[in-house]
Amino acid sequence: MTDTVTITIDGQDFEVPKGMNLVDAAKLHGIGIPVFCYHPKLDPVGMCRMCLVELGNVAIDRTTGAPELDEQGNPVIRWFPKLQTACTQTVSQGMVLRTTSDMVVEGRENILEFLLTSHPLDCPVCDKGGECPLQNLTMAYGPGESRFIYDDKIRLAKHVPLGKLIYLDRERCIQCARCTRFCDEIVGDDVLAFHERGRRLQIVTISDPPFDTKFSGNTTDICPVGALTTTDFRFGARPWELTEVSTICPYCPVGCNLNASTRMDREFGGKAMIKRIMPRQNERVNEIWICDKGRFGHHHSRHEERLLAPLMRNKSGELVEVEWPAVYKAIAKQLKAHGDQAGFVGDSTLSNEDLWELRRLAELSGGSPRLGLWPATMSGGDVVAQVGVGSETRLQDLGPGSVILVMASDFEEEAPIWWLQVKQAADRGAKVVVANARPTKLDRYASAVIHYRYDEAVGVLNSFTAPLLSGDGQLGQGNGWGALQSDLQNAEVTHADTANLLASAENLVIFLGSEGLTLEQHAELMQAAANLLIVSGHVGRPNNGLIPVWPGANVQGAWDMGFSAEATADLLANPPALWVIGGADVAGEDIRMATALEQAEFVVVTAQFMTPTAAHADIVLPRQSFAERAGTYTNGLRRVQRFYPAQGPIGDALPDWKIFAHVSAQMGGPRPPVAAGTIFRDIAQRVERYIGMDYTRLAWFEPQFPDVGGDDLYYGGTAYSNYGGLGLQWPAEAEAEQPQFSVRPVRTAAPQTDGLTLVPVWVLFDRGHLFEKSELMHHRMPQPYAAFNPDDAARLGLTDGDRVTLAVEGHELTVTAQVGDDNPAGAVLLPRRLSGDATLSTPAACTVQKIESMQKVEG
Amino acid sequence: MAHILLRDLDIPDIWQFDTYVANGGYEGLKQAIGNHTPAEVIQIVLDANLRGRGGAGFPTGRKWSFIPQNEAVKYVVVNADESEPGTFKDRQLLEKNPHQVIEGAMIAAYAIQATAVYIYCRGEFWDLAHALEERIEEARQANLVGENVLGSGWNCPMFVHLGAGAYICGEESALLNSLQGLLGQPRVRPPFPAQKGGGLYYEPTVVNNVETLANVPWILVNGADAFKQIGTSESPGPKIFCMSGHIARPGNYELPLGITFRELIFEHAGGIPNGKQLKGILPSGASGPVLRATDEVLDSPLTYESVAKLGSTLGSASFILMDEDTDMVWAAAKMAHFFKHESCGKCTPCREGTYWLERIYERMMRGEGTEHDLHLLNSVPRQMVGVVLCALGDFAANPVLSTLKNFPDEYERYIRQRPVREQTADTLQDYARKEAGEHPAAVGEGGL
Amino acid sequence: MLAEKYADRIQKIFAKYPDRRSGIMDLLYLAQEEYGWLTEQALEEVAALCDVDPTQAHSIAGFYTMYSEKPKGKYWLQVCTDLPCALRGADDFYAALCEFLGVEDGGTTEDGLFTVEQVMCLAACDKAPMLQCNFHYHENLDMEKMKAQIEQWRAEAAQPEQPEDERP
Repeated sequence: MTDTVTITIDGQDFEVPKGMNLVDAAKLHGIGIPVFCYHPKLDPVGMCRMCLVELGNVAIDRTTGAPELDEQGNPVIRWFPKLQTACTQTVSQGMVLRTTSDMVVEGRENILEFLLTSHPLDCPVCDKGGECPLQNLTMAYGPGESRFIYDDKIRLAKHVPLGKLIYLDRERCIQCARCTRFCDEIVGDDVLAFHERGRRLQIVTISDPPFDTKFSGNTTDICPVGALTTTDFRFGARPWELTEVSTICPYCPVGCNLNASTRMDREFGGKAMIKRIMPRQNERVNEIWICDKGRFGHHHSRHEERLLAPLMRNKSGELVEVEWPAVYKAIAKQLKAHGDQAGFVGDSTLSNEDLWELRRLAELSGGSPRLGLWPATMSGGDVVAQVGVGSETRLQDLGPGSVILVMASDFEEEAPIWWLQVKQAADRGAKVVVANARPTKLDRYASAVIHYRYDEAVGVLNSFTAPLLSGDGQLGQGNGWGALQSDLQNAEVTHADTANLLASAENLVIFLGSEGLTLEQHAELMQAAANLLIVSGHVGRPNNGLIPVWPGANVQGAWDMGFSAEATADLLANPPALWVIGGADVAGEDIRMATALEQAEFVVVTAQFMTPTAAHADIVLPRQSFAERAGTYTNGLRRVQRFYPAQGPIGDALPDWKIFAHVSAQMGGPRPPVAAGTIFRDIAQRVERYIGMDYTRLAWFEPQFPDVGGDDLYYGGTAYSNYGGLGLQWPAEAEAEQPQFSVRPVRTAAPQTDGLTLVPVWVLFDRGHLFEKSELMHHRMPQPYAAFNPDDAARLGLTDGDRVTLAVEGHELTVTAQVGDDNPAGAVLLPRRLSGDATLSTPAACTVQKIESMQKVEG
Repeated sequence: MAHILLRDLDIPDIWQFDTYVANGGYEGLKQAIGNHTPAEVIQIVLDANLRGRGGAGFPTGRKWSFIPQNEAVKYVVVNADESEPGTFKDRQLLEKNPHQVIEGAMIAAYAIQATAVYIYCRGEFWDLAHALEERIEEARQANLVGENVLGSGWNCPMFVHLGAGAYICGEESALLNSLQGLLGQPRVRPPFPAQKGGGLYYEPTVVNNVETLANVPWILVNGADAFKQIGTSESPGPKIFCMSGHIARPGNYELPLGITFRELIFEHAGGIPNGKQLKGILPSGASGPVLRATDEVLDSPLTYESVAKLGSTLGSASFILMDEDTDMVWAAAKMAHFFKHESCGKCTPCREGTYWLERIYERMMRGEGTEHDLHLLNSVPRQMVGVVLCALGDFAANPVLSTLKNFPDEYERYIRQRPVREQTADTLQDYARKEAGEHPAAVGEGGL
Repeated sequence: MLAEKYADRIQKIFAKYPDRRSGIMDLLYLAQEEYGWLTEQALEEVAALCDVDPTQAHSIAGFYTMYSEKPKGKYWLQVCTDLPCALRGADDFYAALCEFLGVEDGGTTEDGLFTVEQVMCLAACDKAPMLQCNFHYHENLDMEKMKAQIEQWRAEAAQPEQPEDERP
């Protein structure tokens, strides 16, 4: 093979990929070269000098360019006279190194002695103790004792808050710069840096708020000492007491693989309790990173306000505790009474198994089941099934030649880890095109930025497709091709350069959100994306196709189980008499839903908390959080991933699937299944996309490279190896051997009204009913606001900080106005889930009234 | 003989543009552009065997020849971060003969077809740097810098960048980082500055010392052969020797390489004042090993090779001279303080080693040195040499090891008789420890 | 605000470099000139101009000795006491200067006029003892000369309206 070279390590020959970093190459073959500053996900800097090796290269004859040979005909090795840092070397043919010679052993000892001279010897009270690279490497390679006078060590502050989530111990810091480089290289938030120099070099932040990034927790994983610790876990437990349970983040479509570190805890009645959430390596999904929402957003799972027992309204209309059998009966009775007059809504935090049992219940209720998913902001499950990104797509493989279009999404707020991966792809040389009605943070990494009016979104995609259809129909076949061609061939091409960039891309991935779009408009936009991908041939293979920026962790699973946003819209348009709502706080999030529930005859809700939705209900069923039970989520790349019970049960709460199955049994259905895995087997038999999957197969894993989370810890940090399963992706239709594509002309709906449109937008750190329970994150949650364009604000007589009333569809909301140049004209941007007040799922016309009498409130 | 570099000693007004031009100034640049291709200019400098005057002595022409020709953006950076204790030659050149440096830089820029020249001046050269900007403007108005230089169609503006007080920025890759507004810490090499990815803004870059470039116009006008007539065959050309410390006539001396220590110190610089004997010589500032002033040393020629044979280095030829009364341990303590103060902190051995060396010397200055400290002084520098990221860590070891080797008796005295030099000890005290005072609590917020 | 007050100078600074980040050192000098020292506001303004987080401006300011993140006296006297200067009496000169002004090493006089510090080599070894006052060199000093100079600075500071601060 031409792309590998042979190197010799300690007398043994190894084949390694050409150009690979020497530390990585050794690691690939199980040879650990100790490091502190080097990290396989970061550029090498050669700072800590721990990775010293003896290094020799094949001597090259200057005149011939050929290797010099000795008398026996073997290549002559020219050794560097001094030790070299392995991390700053890339492998070349014939390279020879010694990692165990006396010189190397002494070199490492010397470095460790230096590192330890100023390090406090507080391992017994250090959170990192037990999983500390410095501790481990000192045991393995360090000198027995220090010759320096301990009293002469430099003394620095030990409790420096870097913001409210991360603490810095400046004495423990060994200046490896992994944290600052993570912020600079991986995230692009330059909010951590060194201050001063020499031995006084220390980590600082003065950003506002301090350590202003959505990814701060990752620095504690890659910190090779106990310098950075999280507020969440600080002094919480010792690593060796913890049991690791694989789980999946319940918040966004990325589907980050997590590890819940649990311990039988006195504070939790002796039951297993989550002490911290850590990333679990999945190079196909989140690599080794997670955002702070996923890391610190687990407190809802054992919050004191959790619902502990089923509640049912008594004759005087109060919710009172009842036993489970009573509620099962009562619900079954209501469902039977209402027949096909029932509507069902499943939340994006429900597992596939929950949703499946909800569907089974709906089917038993008669008529054709009305299965709505929540949040109902995005359409296009069928489009994803057709042109979803190819199986085995790895965002970290996107680089030169790849183009990534991110459209209608405030990407970092909606899918932080994808944002981070796309940002890095741009750094590697991929071209990123960002299209939205307003600037977002991704713009700074974009090769092209297109700002459109919200209702022009479909037109933008059409204008990318049009040039591809202007030639003489040499292009493919399939449904609707002719119609599309005749529709677009005379279309105005408004972004010719970008269109060309997309068309000529070796790989094209489109991330599509739904900002500013109604469900109908979004359906069109999804189809427009499909048209573009099909016509340009960017489908059916890895690293090509569509990735929907779904509004939740298991929206894809909900589509797969037969739920849809259109069904939710239909339930709103033609409200049922009886609602069964799984997990979602529909009334707390959407004013239309709140109205619909008020008018309903009977409402059944599974909930973790007494949300506005639960407060509307006639029967409230305590559901278990994701932490207490098993299940599967399907992420935005259609990867089905398992999560496992991590935490002890709370009260009488049950998993949603069990609740629904018991009601089904009351309705004459089969006996409830005993475990989530049984349900999944059922799913795998009936849902075509899931055929062939089962819990065992989903739990498959393989060694991943880089080997982060291995036992050595020093190489990649404390992210965990994946033993819970890498999950399985179901293939898109485009991946079939003879795919049948269907395209169709799509049109922008008629322009919206002249007045203002209220556009709901996402913010990551929101006050959704689950995340809100993580009180340590409250300082990062913005106060409720509505954002205005300066022209609109001027017309309305508004200035920044004014209180305003927004009237939409007969409802009123009071918020603080924010005025900024970046806000698009004609739109009032209203973040979802920032207060107890319901907002909207999809845009609607609104009017704005300034509240004159109230005092100005600072935003 | 008229000076080639320190021409202000012959023509005091040479800093003025008109005076410089009237005395043959910018002829070298005109000849380079008018009569030679860039490749020919590199060849001339190669033939002259001009070696870098910043300290390393690397052949300048070879450095230029490493620059890839087909890159669109290339830079020349002039290293005017002169910060080595005992070195003040670049300052005189830039203050008193600035146009010659500008001309040399432009010839270098022409040779590699650079797209811009940056002169990185240490921040303390505040007045000098602002005056230099005016000199560059004069050259620009005369079409010697900037757009379409001398009608050649080649554009090359020149800018002054001010540092802000950091010795490490004299290290070329740290200098480039500093110029880019990053922390002035050295980079990992490869890639080297001459390579794509390694230079200023990651474009191929030549970094040359001020004095090196000041030689170039003369070479262009007088030819490589004439240059080789000066000095020795291995180290040709004139060299500026900075004389400081215990010397009768401190200052800069332009002399051919190859004269002896004795000639330099006693004939040119007037010898040691107050009738004292010369004891120690630092031939390349604080960063080279100190020599004991023996006859063998004094009669050695000053070339890069012969000084190396003596166990030291000629480096930037900055002579710090110490008479018989000088306390060599104190001198080493001063230098240990310097390197601890200037260590950038990026790599472990230098960051920690310089800190702990300073601690040991602090103890010695307080009269608290022990045998164990002697053992540490012998071993700590050896833990640094060769495993550090840049040369600063290696330099820091030199004064320690060379004073130990050449003046062991003086260290013995510090262990046995324990003299106290409190002022120096206080200077060496790390200020974080000083702030902490007698309290074991940490400095700054919190405290365990 | 620097951006409005020094628009021309800022524009000239940025014109030197292909990216805004490179302007950070010049802008820190400008901010120090404006505010006397690098206040948090100064760091924020510089960072905004360079399109970086204030943390980066703080980092650069902390790395170099010529930026001050603490208030300094009107006359910031930096005396070189490195080896070559010390061989020519710089240590004694520094001690005498401190004593004359009645301050400790690194201290500021009570009237806020003078801050005295030791610094590393300033490339004036042949003209020792020497110091830098607000970045301007004063060479071949002794205490007699120094006392006269200090009187001159005191007189200068006593002037009600100064045309131009000597601070760079």
